Amino acid sequence: MQHVEIENVHKSFGSVEVIKGIDLSVAKGQFCALLGPSGCGKSTLLRMIAGLEAVSSGKVFVNGADVTNTHPAKRQIAMVFQSYALYPHMTVRQNISFSLDVAGRPKPEAAQRTEEVARILQLTDFLDRKPAQLSGGQRQRVAIGRALVRSPEVFLFDEPLSNLDAMLRVQMRFELAKLHEELATTMIYVTHDQIEAMTLASKIVVLDAGTISQVGTPLELYNQPANKFVAGFIGSPQMNFLKGRMETVAGREVRLELAGSGSVAILARGGVEDLKPGELEIGIRPEHIRPCNPGDAEANLSGRVELVEHLGNSTVLYVSTGSGRLVVQRSDDLSIRTGDTIGLAVDASRAHVFGADQRAI
Amino acid sequence: MKPNRAGLVGLLYAMPALLFVAALVIYPLGQLFYTSLTSTSLLGGGKFIGLGNYEKAFNDSTFWSALGFTLKYTLFITPVLMGGGFLLALLTWQNTRLKQFTRGVIFMPWVIGLATSSLLWYWLFDHRVGPINKILVDLNLIEAPLAWFTDAELGLWAVIISVTWKVIGFGTILFVAAIQSIDGEITEASMIDGASYWQRVRRIILPLSTRSILLTTLISVVGSMVAFDQFYIMTQGGPKTDTFTSVYWMYQNSFIYFKLGYGSALAIILTVIIFIGAATQVALTRPRGTE
Repeated sequence: MQHVEIENVHKSFGSVEVIKGIDLSVAKGQFCALLGPSGCGKSTLLRMIAGLEAVSSGKVFVNGADVTNTHPAKRQIAMVFQSYALYPHMTVRQNISFSLDVAGRPKPEAAQRTEEVARILQLTDFLDRKPAQLSGGQRQRVAIGRALVRSPEVFLFDEPLSNLDAMLRVQMRFELAKLHEELATTMIYVTHDQIEAMTLASKIVVLDAGTISQVGTPLELYNQPANKFVAGFIGSPQMNFLKGRMETVAGREVRLELAGSGSVAILARGGVEDLKPGELEIGIRPEHIRPCNPGDAEANLSGRVELVEHLGNSTVLYVSTGSGRLVVQRSDDLSIRTGDTIGLAVDASRAHVFGADQRAI
Repeated sequence: MKPNRAGLVGLLYAMPALLFVAALVIYPLGQLFYTSLTSTSLLGGGKFIGLGNYEKAFNDSTFWSALGFTLKYTLFITPVLMGGGFLLALLTWQNTRLKQFTRGVIFMPWVIGLATSSLLWYWLFDHRVGPINKILVDLNLIEAPLAWFTDAELGLWAVIISVTWKVIGFGTILFVAAIQSIDGEITEASMIDGASYWQRVRRIILPLSTRSILLTTLISVVGSMVAFDQFYIMTQGGPKTDTFTSVYWMYQNSFIYFKLGYGSALAIILTVIIFIGAATQVALTRPRGTE
């Protein structure tokens, strides 16, 4: 049995079903991210694991024990909230030691454990301050400390970095990754930020409208998205989607005629034998499109450059083509200017084909 | 010193309120203080007698017993109102239909006039026709109907019960607002931290409701210190003068004995006592440090 297991969990609020039968397992010591847009049910799922939300049906197991109807305090879990949820009237020391105090642990033991956690999180100098006297990053560390002091089986994080500014978020991300490496405790992390999920987690669960869209490692999700939703959600700038009509199928190679442009041959993953002629959609990541001269034989498309963004480490082009607007990203500093007409060569081996049901083919 | 323009603008904005306070509080208070230094009668006449009325009050045993009774009433009813109000708030703070309805029922008596509710309870406690005596007799808790208002202690408790019914909803609503304003994630965090329900109440909800508790206590204490209607209607100050409150004695002197000057002095003394009490309460319970 896995460390955390969720079996066919449903959750409804009145007549609205927000979690539609989810099965998920997280191995001991794994860092698992629940990723998805707002309203996809990721926080509700986390709250059900925590016991803060009752499941409508299904089961939740932690460390082999069925905790579906167990009180949050007895689930061996700790949770870090988006708002930090620090006790504003208590000092950092009291915040961290709260769970030990209410559990009636001996004062010297609680004090020693609190000091130890404060040292790990570099909070020793702030132990007698109140939360209002701390910066956002320090508050976040106190929230983590409060979770850490209980030595839980599982850490739950509910968008813990979303209240921090961009720089601090990067720093805290690093600190969380290091903390996970040191503790090797199971962590389940809810975020809508794909960068956080990709950088922290070894397993990402992409949720869409209360169902699991795909589970995989960061690179699996990036390179082999199971459907158009995952393909569009993972990656920044977002994947380009072009509508096309299937012309021929030869082996795994599918040739598509693009609306208003030329044609392109894509290497599908398989299952193309029964493919019938009709509308398909191809997905190409911005970095898998190469600018070239419009007349070049390799040019699948051509278009006019609407905007050029020089980001220092890369250049992003917004190109208006007969098939719609395409975003192109190159790591080199291109000399292309706004208004130029350019050709675009698609790396067919990296492109994806999506069927009418939006599943990758 | 050059006048601060922002300060002047601020003063201008506050002016209507200041004028209002000056006309309705400061001027009457000044007038009251002046009257307290005279032997003014309600029937007219009187002269300046300096601190004569204050000296008289100092030697007036009924004034002291009335003040003592008022303090006793305040000390008895405040914990009932605060504790009861907070418990009711804990029971009804969630916004389910049933709890919202219950809150509405608890708050309803607040909108009734104190005199009306006192009259209602006067009849409920009546020893001949009152249902309270009947219920107590039927339950074998007492052998014969009690004459509630012929005994100072029973009368006091009858008044406390009636006032509690009338005003407890006000505190409950303020406490409900305080509890609802606590970030839900804080309560959830304490649940995950293993705090039991009462640990959460004691260590999270109570400390985070301190300001509301202080405000409600202050309103309640001041209200109890100026109690009049309920005793006037239910006990008429009796038996003898045992349930005279400070304001009752003030009323008695000013409007029954026509001694307006002396009544004014009693009013000034009570105002000073309440002011000192309220200021001490605020100073002692002011939150320390940063929240």
